Amino acid sequence: MTDLLANLGLGFSVALSLQNLGLCFLGCLVGTLIGVLPGVGPIATIAMLLPITFGLDPVGALIMLAGIYYGAQYGGSTTAILVNIPGEATSVVTTLDGHQMARQGRAGIALGIAAMGSFFAGTVATLLIAALGAPLTGLAMVFGPAEYFALMVMGLVFAVVLARGSVLKAVAMILVGVLLASVGTDLETGQERMTFGLSFLSDGVDFSVLAMGLFGVAEILRNLDQTETRDVVRQQIGRLLPSRADLKQAAPSVLRGTAIGSILGILPGNGAVLGPFASYAIEKRIARDPSRFGRGAIEGVAGPESANNAGSQTSFIPLLTLGIPPNAVMALMVGAMTIHGIIPGPGVMTKNPNLFWGMIASMWIGNLMLLIINLPLVGLWVRLLKVPYRLMFPAILMFCSIGIYSINSLPTDVMLIAFFGLLGYGLIKLGFEPAPMLLGFVLGRLMEEYLRRSLTLSRGDPMVFFERPVTAVLLVISVVMLVAALTPALRKSRDEVFTEA
Amino acid sequence: MSVPDDGSARAGGPIRGPQSLAAGLGLIALGVFAVWAGSDLPQGTLGAMGPGLMPRWLGIGVAACGVALVLAGFLKTGEPLPPVAWRGVVVVMLAIVAFAVTIRPVPVGPFTTPGLGLIVAGPLAIIVGGYASPEARFGELVCLALLLTAGCMLLFGDLLNLPIPMFPTVVIEALSGSISMRLLLRLSAGVLILLGIGMVALLRSGARRRPVDVATHSLTT
Repeated sequence: MTDLLANLGLGFSVALSLQNLGLCFLGCLVGTLIGVLPGVGPIATIAMLLPITFGLDPVGALIMLAGIYYGAQYGGSTTAILVNIPGEATSVVTTLDGHQMARQGRAGIALGIAAMGSFFAGTVATLLIAALGAPLTGLAMVFGPAEYFALMVMGLVFAVVLARGSVLKAVAMILVGVLLASVGTDLETGQERMTFGLSFLSDGVDFSVLAMGLFGVAEILRNLDQTETRDVVRQQIGRLLPSRADLKQAAPSVLRGTAIGSILGILPGNGAVLGPFASYAIEKRIARDPSRFGRGAIEGVAGPESANNAGSQTSFIPLLTLGIPPNAVMALMVGAMTIHGIIPGPGVMTKNPNLFWGMIASMWIGNLMLLIINLPLVGLWVRLLKVPYRLMFPAILMFCSIGIYSINSLPTDVMLIAFFGLLGYGLIKLGFEPAPMLLGFVLGRLMEEYLRRSLTLSRGDPMVFFERPVTAVLLVISVVMLVAALTPALRKSRDEVFTEA
Repeated sequence: MSVPDDGSARAGGPIRGPQSLAAGLGLIALGVFAVWAGSDLPQGTLGAMGPGLMPRWLGIGVAACGVALVLAGFLKTGEPLPPVAWRGVVVVMLAIVAFAVTIRPVPVGPFTTPGLGLIVAGPLAIIVGGYASPEARFGELVCLALLLTAGCMLLFGDLLNLPIPMFPTVVIEALSGSISMRLLLRLSAGVLILLGIGMVALLRSGARRRPVDVATHSLTT
């Protein structure tokens, strides 16, 4: 306990430096901005801003990038409530009751409870990261290559189970991602794999190129398909502070949402996305009068918003302690860390305590800033929503091009984002989700590495994965989860959580 | 993902899920391609895995998923193939390629494109790319291009010092020595901003004469 306090003290002393405070604020501001604007997500933004962080020190860079991520989760709810469009994928459920509240003239209350719930959830999640950091790192230290391999398999299986739509398609996407990761020079033998003699492929496909293509360019193409009209709430936003009765009604939902979101966020394989859906489903199920949901129930905003924010923060846990990114944004964080010469994983905490604890402390500070950025400035964000998409996407296009060019100064990289954009658009059209592919891509190289190493150690005996207790348990969990996801009855309830919630 | 069957899928004879079928065929093609592309790599043994082992089995796995999806396309009623907005796809691709070949000299076959720098590549990407939307308006895009390019020049070139070529190589060679690059950068960004503001003012005064409905926007999720 005293350790924890001392560590947090160190963290705050790092995070409260003027530069880091500024970067944290900048990250939160940019995050809110892209969260509010539909059509720009944190993945593309972080990929775009990666080159900007080259000149910063690693702590500041990661503080800013983290701010963008959780800031976007805050901002997404504003759009969901006021415009009935999720600013981010995770705020889909907030549209249901949030927008109804806005229609009833309670937009301010909805925004207020979303922000307060998020702040509470963020605080709990920050403490959770701090508390779980040390024990999990200790656990990671005893992990060998076989354990890591099994853990990554489990992460990918979770990504399949938690992805929306067809399980088969999600599996295929992961395999394609891992396959794509094997392009380039083989790390052990130095042989070029599937490069076709193209020199720009010999280092493999660059992660930011893939991410920007799949999530920047493909998103633009998909958005150009559909034309809708924005329905910005024209009524007054009204008072922001919920009344005592509102608070009393919402408080249990916030608590439940925080718990659900925190737990799901830790799961490898992007559990954070499921958080809001699960929270909404639970709130609806235990409500005394479920028919209120969808008509402006405050619990339907408070629960999912808390779950959302809690999950987005606890998803840092697998990254910081085990070095395994649970979702695409965390995968970008891996990229940002490696650029600065930090290897994500259990070593971070002992070798770079400043970074580890500074980042955690900055998350709490960031959440406080977001409360300020979001509530009083909400009018500003609403005005931003009036920027039409026909002006927004050319700007995104140019930022993507400049961003990717500045990483390696290679025009071929710029052309590759066009290629991957096209690929991503094709995938969306065929009903595939690009997110599992990106995760497979990130874990692919590591997985092959660990698989080879553990098989070399066991002299080619695959039983090594079943003889060691930890690996056996992890692999059994994976198999059970996969089988369960394919079972019709369970599939149905999983789809229900996503669609009906 | 639960689009109800609208009848069109059933009309297509034995193909009941065109989307699954197409997706499956794509995966099979990719899997076969991967196996072929990795066929010259040594496989090694389990104890000493060669570089070709993972790619081959991944290719086989991808193809197997493809086969399953193709089967599903015949057996299960699924979604039809969604329409593709070709205008957007083609124009956006053009815009990105235009940026890539103009930002710095790129050898294209026997030729080399002239490196024109961000000051040309940026506006080019915005104005060309803008036409991906059927609602594109030339004047608006020019304003956006001028202001954003100026902003990016200051941000990436002046503030962050990233090695992005800002001006055409010809201009840089002609001016080398006579003026500092940073001053040139600031001056031209200033000119772009003034031009942009001028354009905005021009558009505004034009818009006042003919009322434009500002309530409808196009949007996206």
